[in-house]
Amino acid sequence: MINTANGMMSTSSSSAAAAPGGNAPSPGLKTYFKSPEGRYKLHYEKGHPSGLMHYVQGKTVTQATVATIKDKPSPPTPPSQPSSSFSASSGVRSAAARLLGSGNGSRALSFVGGNGGSKSISGGSRLGPLGSNSSTSNLTSNFDGRGTYLIFNMGDGLFISDLNSQDKEPMKAIYFNNVYPVCHAFDSDAKDGHDLLIGLSTGDVYSVSLRQQLQDSGKKLVGAQHYNKDGSVNGSQNSSTHFPSSRRIIDKCRCTCISWVPGGDGAFVVAHADGNIYVYEKSKEGAGDSSFPAIKDPTQFSVAHARYSKSNPIARWHICQGSINGIAFSTDGTYLATVGRDGYLRVFDYSKEQLICGGKSYYGALLCCAWSNDGKYVLAGGEDDLVQIWSMVDRKVVAWGEGHNSWVSGVAFDSFWSSPNSDDSGDSVLYRFGSVGQDTQLLLWDLEMDEIVVPLRRPPGGSPTLSTGSQSSHWDNVTPVGTLQPAPSMRDIPKISPVVAHRVHTEPLSGLIFTTESVLTVCREGHIKVWIRPHIAEAQGASNPETALSTSLKDKPLLSSKVSNSSGYKQ
Amino acid sequence: MGAAGSKLEKALGDQFPEGERYFGLENFGNTCYCNSVLQALYFCVPFREQLLDYYANNKSSGDAEDNLLTCLADLFTQISSQKKKTGVIAPKRFVQRLKKQNELFRSYMHQDAHEFLNFLLNELVDILEKEAQTAKNDAETSSPPEKIANGPKNALANGVHKEPLVTWVHKNFQGILTNETRCLRCETVTARDETFFDLSLDIEQNSSITSCLKNFSSTETLNAEDKFFCDKCCSLQEAQKRMKIKKAPQILVIHLKRFKYIEQLGRNKKLSYRVVFPLELKLINSVEDADAEYSLFAVVVHVGSGPNHGHYVSLVKSHNHWLFFDDENVEMIDESAVQTFFGSAQEYSSNTDHGYILFYERLGMNGSSKS
Repeated sequence: MINTANGMMSTSSSSAAAAPGGNAPSPGLKTYFKSPEGRYKLHYEKGHPSGLMHYVQGKTVTQATVATIKDKPSPPTPPSQPSSSFSASSGVRSAAARLLGSGNGSRALSFVGGNGGSKSISGGSRLGPLGSNSSTSNLTSNFDGRGTYLIFNMGDGLFISDLNSQDKEPMKAIYFNNVYPVCHAFDSDAKDGHDLLIGLSTGDVYSVSLRQQLQDSGKKLVGAQHYNKDGSVNGSQNSSTHFPSSRRIIDKCRCTCISWVPGGDGAFVVAHADGNIYVYEKSKEGAGDSSFPAIKDPTQFSVAHARYSKSNPIARWHICQGSINGIAFSTDGTYLATVGRDGYLRVFDYSKEQLICGGKSYYGALLCCAWSNDGKYVLAGGEDDLVQIWSMVDRKVVAWGEGHNSWVSGVAFDSFWSSPNSDDSGDSVLYRFGSVGQDTQLLLWDLEMDEIVVPLRRPPGGSPTLSTGSQSSHWDNVTPVGTLQPAPSMRDIPKISPVVAHRVHTEPLSGLIFTTESVLTVCREGHIKVWIRPHIAEAQGASNPETALSTSLKDKPLLSSKVSNSSGYKQ
Repeated sequence: MGAAGSKLEKALGDQFPEGERYFGLENFGNTCYCNSVLQALYFCVPFREQLLDYYANNKSSGDAEDNLLTCLADLFTQISSQKKKTGVIAPKRFVQRLKKQNELFRSYMHQDAHEFLNFLLNELVDILEKEAQTAKNDAETSSPPEKIANGPKNALANGVHKEPLVTWVHKNFQGILTNETRCLRCETVTARDETFFDLSLDIEQNSSITSCLKNFSSTETLNAEDKFFCDKCCSLQEAQKRMKIKKAPQILVIHLKRFKYIEQLGRNKKLSYRVVFPLELKLINSVEDADAEYSLFAVVVHVGSGPNHGHYVSLVKSHNHWLFFDDENVEMIDESAVQTFFGSAQEYSSNTDHGYILFYERLGMNGSSKS
């Protein structure tokens, strides 16, 4: 009698099967991608030591930090970039993995020639002119460490690579034995030695000197200041070290994101999965841990200060219920943006400890956020597959970037990008930004101010059945300070499309970093690709890629060949 | 019984939800496909409540024969009326009835959980409609059954045209799709409505449910061998076709097409693709102004590398706790553990636990606007 006969239970789409661009099972990834300004070429690939096996797969998410160590005594005029530390972060991560044997010294060198498009990956042992990696000597203490490094985590290891070396394997590995480093941050202007921060799955936090780690030949962290031992400030229920027994045990107090406060004179903040941010000052004791009163209303933002001014952490910011997935300071340190499980982007005035504005994603958690260099825009990405462009002037979402086929796990403005038409008119400021997702894609976007400053009040083709009463208030309301916006409706937000979409890895991505010379893409499983910018690649011409890169860094501390020679990671 | 149960009780402590029962279901030899779906349905609270209501109100009406509806209602009653808070129950009568009813499920072979859910929901609708028909015949004067506005018209086998009955099963699970075809010659748009109890989505490696839904609704061009017969042009024409969600259901069931026939192999293959599903989701639909907002409350997970063997378990959200049901065993899991069931980015991976059927519950009918 009924519709069972019509097979109405399942309605399936015949169109999706034929969808173009479906992922082939074994895709050939290209070693370059085209952009309006030219070709970005795959220059280097970085990874964890080959000894690390797949057992950690899916257990931790790799994040990467670029760190530049300057001259030791009095730093020369640093490059004009505002901060030499870039951090790529990603969203959800779980903590449970096991360490098999560490790297066994077998070198799997895979060098990718960035020297003209004709040259493809040449595996094997070809070494560049600088890469005389046969040196077996350990790093010595008079090694001054100047250079630019890539710091990344994988499993229970933290790895350091020379960013300007072709070596795929890291030069230094630090193991934490059964706990997992999950986030890190670097401050090139740190006054005393400690410039590198490391947050662990247990909630523990370390500050160390990167140079000191490079000078040491061991596999342990050296000279570390230890904060929040066993996640003590986060509460006791997680103090035990959960170890792999079950993937279903997750530390509530695990660190999710860590950042130096720009211009904060050694202050740093650590975000946790329990919805709290703790503020530390490295000049203060790490041991005498502070305690904080219970959170009265977990749904409300609140700040508590430590009772004794000498101990760390000095303050607790309760942000939200559920995990904080990403944090970002504006370049000048005025504002702190957070994104989290509850789907809200929040922007705080850091020194006033005040919520300024914020809003909900279209749906689902937000996983990452980033500031424009001028502090006018915040990007956020997450589980609705959208890149959200938040305007600090309008205090609302002004555009959505549509183009990812899965969750957006990393966003960043390209602050080294200069608009091609910036000379003729000052009005049309163009921002360039990038995003990476779990769809393995890197997307690049151009944000033309004219496109979004005057938003479409009612996009053409909007439903004619709309009564005026249901007209969205998204564009009409003036948002008072400190209020959070609800999720906008799909039809209220202008959409923008990427100018570049490229599959860069076979694994879901977790972050991206722009540097003066390149774009770095980071995948969850510990592989990092360095894509050299078109003008740098052109400058190289047909000459050797290594030397060309070095010469292009003329305004940066030159990477001496001595460093490359002596820094081979060898066991 | 005791050990696992008390462990869960300890884990929940004084947060144990009042009146709620968490019972594992015994496996009678490859009945995990059934157990995993039953747990998801049990924790679909509106469905459970309406089933129990219906059963309580209709039990007295004669000593009717057992059917899947009464067996399911019995099982749910049995669980919900347990003195203990946790334990194990044997869904014996239900499974026996299921095997009696459908030879497909009679063997001890590995069964498809989605086929079972499909069969069960349609069977429940059948039973309810038959009962309504009997009741109508008994008392011709009674008020007509509820009608669905703009509902699908079903031509019945005997040629009699009737409005379909809207049962509480429909009210929970039924949505309406519009199949829109635009003839590229005369531009005439032909729209045909179809009802659905779930959406079966094609999946791609490293994609999201959002993206799969987008592909589902994307425009497809009918050409070459696959032209469309346009009534206006009275001939085969090239056309553009797309599926729009017209009415979003209360309970959105999404089936990921993980078992795919591969021609070269001559058999089904399991696609272990990583397909991420958010805990919250929105559906754009053509009836309402606001997008329908959903929250994930259950996942049926297929464990194993092939289509013809393996195991089913389910993840269920109840009173803001996530629980893991594996036949007799019930344990608490962290919300963030749900992400370990997305699938694998690589074809050969040790992770073989993949989300297969997703259950989303609709949030407040007024959509997302909280302002």
